[in-house]
Amino acid sequence: MITAAGLTKRYGAKTAVDDISFIVQPGRVTGFLGPNGAGKSTTMRLIVGLDRPTSGRVTVNGRAFAEHRAPLHEVGALLDAKAVHTGRTAENHLLAMAATHGIGRQRVREVIELTGLESVARKRVGGFSLGMGQRLGIAVALLGDPATLILDEPVNGLDPEGVLWVRRLVRHLASEGRTVFLSSHLMSEMALTADHLVVLGRGRIITDAPVADVIAGGTRSSVLVRSPHASRLAEVLAGPDIAVMRSESGLLEVTGIEAAGIGDLAAAHGLAIHELTPQTASLEEAYMALTADDVEYRTEAVR
Amino acid sequence: MTAITPAPPQHATPARASRLSFTGVLRSEWIKLRSLRSTVWSYGIVIAISLGMALIMSLSMVNGMNGGADAASAPADQQARFVVESSVFGVYFGQLVAAVLGVLVISGEYSTGMIRSTFTAVPKRVPALAAKTVVLFLATYLVGLVATVGAFFLSSAMFAAIGVTASLAAPGVFLPLLGGALYLALIAVFSLGVGAMLRSSAGGIAAVLGLILLVPTVLQMIPADWAHDVIPYLLPSAGMGMFTTTTAVATADEFGVWLNLLIVLGWVGAAMAGAAVLVRRRDA
Repeated sequence: MITAAGLTKRYGAKTAVDDISFIVQPGRVTGFLGPNGAGKSTTMRLIVGLDRPTSGRVTVNGRAFAEHRAPLHEVGALLDAKAVHTGRTAENHLLAMAATHGIGRQRVREVIELTGLESVARKRVGGFSLGMGQRLGIAVALLGDPATLILDEPVNGLDPEGVLWVRRLVRHLASEGRTVFLSSHLMSEMALTADHLVVLGRGRIITDAPVADVIAGGTRSSVLVRSPHASRLAEVLAGPDIAVMRSESGLLEVTGIEAAGIGDLAAAHGLAIHELTPQTASLEEAYMALTADDVEYRTEAVR
Repeated sequence: MTAITPAPPQHATPARASRLSFTGVLRSEWIKLRSLRSTVWSYGIVIAISLGMALIMSLSMVNGMNGGADAASAPADQQARFVVESSVFGVYFGQLVAAVLGVLVISGEYSTGMIRSTFTAVPKRVPALAAKTVVLFLATYLVGLVATVGAFFLSSAMFAAIGVTASLAAPGVFLPLLGGALYLALIAVFSLGVGAMLRSSAGGIAAVLGLILLVPTVLQMIPADWAHDVIPYLLPSAGMGMFTTTTAVATADEFGVWLNLLIVLGWVGAAMAGAAVLVRRRDA
């Protein structure tokens, strides 16, 4: 479990993280979303103590990360796939990291196999592709068999097969009761992977809710109606909570009433309908709506 | 949905029984030091320079002694001094390589981002710096010993041609050889401290090489007594004094071995203290 309370980080005049509080629960995958520069990476660096908070506090299982007797068993972190000396082989990097905690060669071999790095383990990291670098970063994160995983953009640079592998891996880790905190800019990926979302915009938390709630609450859902009697149907549908938009002739976008209700009304008035399609908002749209609001609010505040 | 997806993780090894310890961090730093090519190259060059310089120096000294009838009949400690002088000559040049290696050991971690992995595994940071220091010191000291003792045997072989001999068992012989190796190890540690403070390979190397090569020359050229008085307290001057001075204790003319060692330790201590404070305080 990760607990942040009033966490703030300023770099000079710039506030990267602005008084945020959240809890990442074990046993589920928590997605950490936000546009570039929103403060996601900074927050993750604060959790593992690479940066010192300006104010506030963040703990992992009740203690500051640095206070744990075996930090690598508490938290496995992939913060930056390039956090490896380019002149060292992947295997030696893992062996050096493992040695600090007395983790044996056997476990190093396991994580190499697990991440599919067998063929390149003896090669220097400088020649690695982005995807291989990510796999090595994930191997390091898994090294200590940690109770909490913090992964910053883990699918960045991975091929489709790698993306699928990461998705299965994090779901499996969460199902074992571990805490999984995962950042990504791929909203569609989050919809498939995460159970819970923390959305960050300009250093502040915009939403902290289950994925389903974010999709449902983020934007209104609408129904697309195609009818030869579009004008007549629009009049029939008109009501206080119902909005009807005409995009092209014969096509209506209706909000505020279910598809079934529209069909019933049309039948009662003897109006033919050629298409009736419920439009569910994607997480991506919900996310855009959320962050757009934040940006608008900010612009007004500056003015 | 391809079939090439690895199986879900298996936690076959009970890795959780282990925990962070200083011996573990020492082992980690040793793996890191020996798994980089720059280390192997640097140490190889230190030994090669030491042997090469000993060969050139001893050949030129033997030639200058014209058959060596005088030198061979000189007292034993005078003969030993010839051989030792030739044996430690390579340390003047080896110190530059040791200094560059010392900077790279830490600045390489900052430039590649490795430092973030290091500090995630050892979040209190200072133990990682301390382990790095211990490992670098011991490795450089051992390499320095191979370099100076190897140079001694090479020089002895050259001087044997004109009948000049020296015994490794004589304090006047083995103490300078140990001192030369110790200086190489200490300048590497000093440079590690500078590298940790500056966090840049180019900046760190410029700083330590400037201190070793430039500062003494500049002070020499300043026509003032104070400038000349400062020179013996500089790191390279005191360092050389650790193995070229003939007296152990300070005299009116020179500091002697122990005082020179003390001055060098002061420089090293200051650099490491600064490094420890900054490494703890700064964001990584």
